[in-house]
Amino acid sequence: MSATTTSVPDREARRDNRRDFVAKNFGVISISVVFVVLFAYFSLASDAFLTTTNLVNVLRQVAPTVIVAVGMTFVITTGQIDLSVGSIVGLSAAALGLFAESGNPVVALLGTLAIALAIGLASGMITAFGKVQSFIVTLAALTAVRGVALLITDGYSTPITSDFLLPLGQGSLAGIYTPTWLAVIAVVTGWYVFNHTRFGRYVTAVGSNDESLRRAGVDIRRIQVAVLGLTGVLAGLAGVITAARLGSGSSNSGTAFELEVITAVVLGGTSLMGGRGSILGSAIGALTLGVINNGLVLSKVDVYWVPITQGLILIVAIFLNSKLFGRIVGTRA
Amino acid sequence: MTGGLDGGTAHAVPRVEMQGITKSYGALKVLRGVDLRVGRGEVVGLVGDNGAGKSTLMKMLAGAVVPDRGRILVDGEELTGTGPRAARAHGIEMVYQDLALCNDVDVAGNLFLGREPYHRFTRKLDHARMHREAAEDLAKLHIRISDTRQLVGNMSGGQRQAIAIARAVAFEPRVLVLDEPTAALAAREVEMTLQLIRDVSERGVSVILITHRLQDLFEVADRFVVLHEGVNHRELDPADTDLTGLVTAMMGK
Repeated sequence: MSATTTSVPDREARRDNRRDFVAKNFGVISISVVFVVLFAYFSLASDAFLTTTNLVNVLRQVAPTVIVAVGMTFVITTGQIDLSVGSIVGLSAAALGLFAESGNPVVALLGTLAIALAIGLASGMITAFGKVQSFIVTLAALTAVRGVALLITDGYSTPITSDFLLPLGQGSLAGIYTPTWLAVIAVVTGWYVFNHTRFGRYVTAVGSNDESLRRAGVDIRRIQVAVLGLTGVLAGLAGVITAARLGSGSSNSGTAFELEVITAVVLGGTSLMGGRGSILGSAIGALTLGVINNGLVLSKVDVYWVPITQGLILIVAIFLNSKLFGRIVGTRA
Repeated sequence: MTGGLDGGTAHAVPRVEMQGITKSYGALKVLRGVDLRVGRGEVVGLVGDNGAGKSTLMKMLAGAVVPDRGRILVDGEELTGTGPRAARAHGIEMVYQDLALCNDVDVAGNLFLGREPYHRFTRKLDHARMHREAAEDLAKLHIRISDTRQLVGNMSGGQRQAIAIARAVAFEPRVLVLDEPTAALAAREVEMTLQLIRDVSERGVSVILITHRLQDLFEVADRFVVLHEGVNHRELDPADTDLTGLVTAMMGK
């Protein structure tokens, strides 16, 4: 651009570029390292871990977490949070069972997803237009939606026998289960939307400086509604997959699922303060949690250690997220 | 009442004309019938003590505050509608003191925020075009930023200020309002920003400058408009006055 450019700014620019590369990818890089280390450890610690059957199973187990983590990355990047996804999984699983029992399975599927979407959009509108923090709105939804799920089923599970619905959880293609394929589609689509569309750019901008985006003439409330609608419908899909895999719609599905999803997203380097997120990081974060759960069980550790470990990982992840991560990519201004 | 000092406005319709602007917040009369004229490509330093009403006046121009009474004309055309969008439609851009940049978005992304080009079918952002045009826009204003892929959050105050101004200029405004553009900048960066203001005004853009750094005004302003307690107090020509004279005028004497 300028004819008088000297070598000093060039060197500065290269250093800035390196720093920006690390800043943009630090989360993905660090979680990848953790993933590889844990994977190697469990491969050595248990004979059953590094087998095709087990790994294909792990990929199926983590699919709902991966799918919802994609949506949650959008929400957290805007600086919001969605605590209601676990309850939406429960309601969707229950609703799918009840709908399928009494009618057309296609309608049951679409109806279930529509309900999940509606709950997400409602939370989004209360957050955006009612100016209530999403933390509070979705905390309320967490309780209320689970209550509805229990109410409509009386707490019982409903068996699902539909040949249309069961493959969503149990079917497979090329040796990989359907839920895993759905998760792959969610990650690829999510990555594309997040990094290469206006919507994705505005999600980052809302979390970074919403006033800036508002002054640029963008209606930020629509972004807030959209991201919570997204987690809603993806949680609905996760509920459908869970119910189809078990062959039964249970209102107790997805208990504490929100914590697992948020842990995965935070592990993946998405900032809880908003403005910085990584879809790929969230996917690897979810895989890491899946490998830990599976590896602990296979290592014959007492099963009660699994939630304890998860809680500890969440603390460490949040600590690293806010302290270490913030320092390495810390901004000057 | 106003004008006369500036030859450029005498024969033409002024770029901006604010007439008889009043604004009260409850019992407090912030503006009591203020007039302001700015010519094409003119740099006006709007000065006054704290509470003189200069920020309120500029927020009205930018559509953020609605006057109780009075008219605002841009190139003889009355400003209709309210809000920042209406102001932008009339060619008014304001760069706020807090910069309003997204730290986590790169330089090109900030310059194109809200008007990103994208492919019609795939919805894919045209990253290549944004970076190319951003580099061109910056070069036109002699802003030296080596890579438009850098995150704004990692840049210096002066660079960020330059990007904020470049972003406003990219909308091809007729009037650019700058609120404290040189506050909290290092000496070299102040000089950079002042040169940028000269470059912008040479492109025919009128600039209204609010700053507490009065010495900056003597470097770039064609005219000073002094407000005092919500009224026009005085208009001064930088050539005929000095810092002491300006300060005296600001105190209402």
